[in-house]
Amino acid sequence: MTDALAFDHEAALLACAAGERGALQRLYQQEGRYLLGVALRIVRDRALAEDVLHDAFLNIWTRAASFDPSRGAARGWIFTVVRHTALNRLRALQHEVNAGDDLEELADHHESAVQAPEWQADLGRLEDCLGQLSDAKRASIVYAYVDGCTHSEIAERLKAPLGSVKAWIKRGLAALRECIG
Amino acid sequence: MNESHDELQWLAGQYVLGTLALAQRQAVERRLPQEPALRAAVDAWEARLHPLTALAPPEQPSPGLWQRIERSLPMPAPVRRQGGWRQWWESVNFWRWSTAGALTCSVLLALLVLRAEPPAGAPSYMVVLVAPQDKAPGWVVQTGGSGRLNLIPLGVATIPQEKALQFWTKGANWSAPVSLGLVQPGRTQQVALEKLPPLQADQLFEITLEPGTGSPTGRPTGPILYIGRAVKVTS
Repeated sequence: MTDALAFDHEAALLACAAGERGALQRLYQQEGRYLLGVALRIVRDRALAEDVLHDAFLNIWTRAASFDPSRGAARGWIFTVVRHTALNRLRALQHEVNAGDDLEELADHHESAVQAPEWQADLGRLEDCLGQLSDAKRASIVYAYVDGCTHSEIAERLKAPLGSVKAWIKRGLAALRECIG
Repeated sequence: MNESHDELQWLAGQYVLGTLALAQRQAVERRLPQEPALRAAVDAWEARLHPLTALAPPEQPSPGLWQRIERSLPMPAPVRRQGGWRQWWESVNFWRWSTAGALTCSVLLALLVLRAEPPAGAPSYMVVLVAPQDKAPGWVVQTGGSGRLNLIPLGVATIPQEKALQFWTKGANWSAPVSLGLVQPGRTQQVALEKLPPLQADQLFEITLEPGTGSPTGRPTGPILYIGRAVKVTS
């Protein structure tokens, strides 16, 4: 297994764009287990997660030529493709009706009662900025991003009203943007 | 779009976070190619939140998943994107893989020479045609100096509808490859060499994917699916 830092994701994507299947396979060998981990957390079903990884790799292959290094890192781009493939699949299964944004009427409830998730990984600057959020905002953002939770699922997990969760996410994202830049 | 900067940021943030419903997600995805401001906002959110992907524990894919992905990949189309067939033919890439493919070729040759029965006295050549990307052997060419060659498939191949496989060869000093006609996927067939000069060692052979009636230009226009060089067989 190549070291994650030494692996040249950008070169692999460029080779994919040139039609080199071996490059896609190298990406798969390098990142497959991390990408499957990300997909599994979102869709919460092993077979479905493998379907997502399958579709995502076809997307990576066909869209590699559209990868633009000036818009972001190659490794991030690959994860983006997998996450959005997973999210689209999950949302298509859920057919959830979105309740709309009626944030203004809603106040923060229970914010201090919420227990935020903890983790071991080093998230760099993002971690510092998440650390400055209330537990409720941090939990809402992590559950949405990592676990693919809808607003209602987060509300259920945090035992908080739906409107509060929406408000926490909106304010949490605004604070993160302010903090990270 | 009449959205304020904050509204655009909010929409992009929700899209990346994953909290939008499917219809809203699809609406964002439709707008992305046309709206640089939205795209920039989404890119920035992707970069900000990407470290959170480290919170998902790694999960080893099933052993067969890569093969499943590989089977689903569309036909390779590298050649046109790399500036045309001729450049590719003479490019560094070609030489790199053809050297790497030599091992596969020699192993197969050792097996196939046992089966080949060239007419006595005539020099005999063999070619293993391999896929440019992964060097997987797809066809074997046998000649016996009789003005014909046998093209033998090593597997079952499917090609898109309204497409055809076209067989080409090019000698060392030829200015362009010459068509040997259309060939049927997955079937052993004889190909007449008729007006061509005698085969030479290292002569190139390839199969490209062309329109159903063959290349409209008389030169390869589609992607190279299989390619290889003639090797003289001494018996």
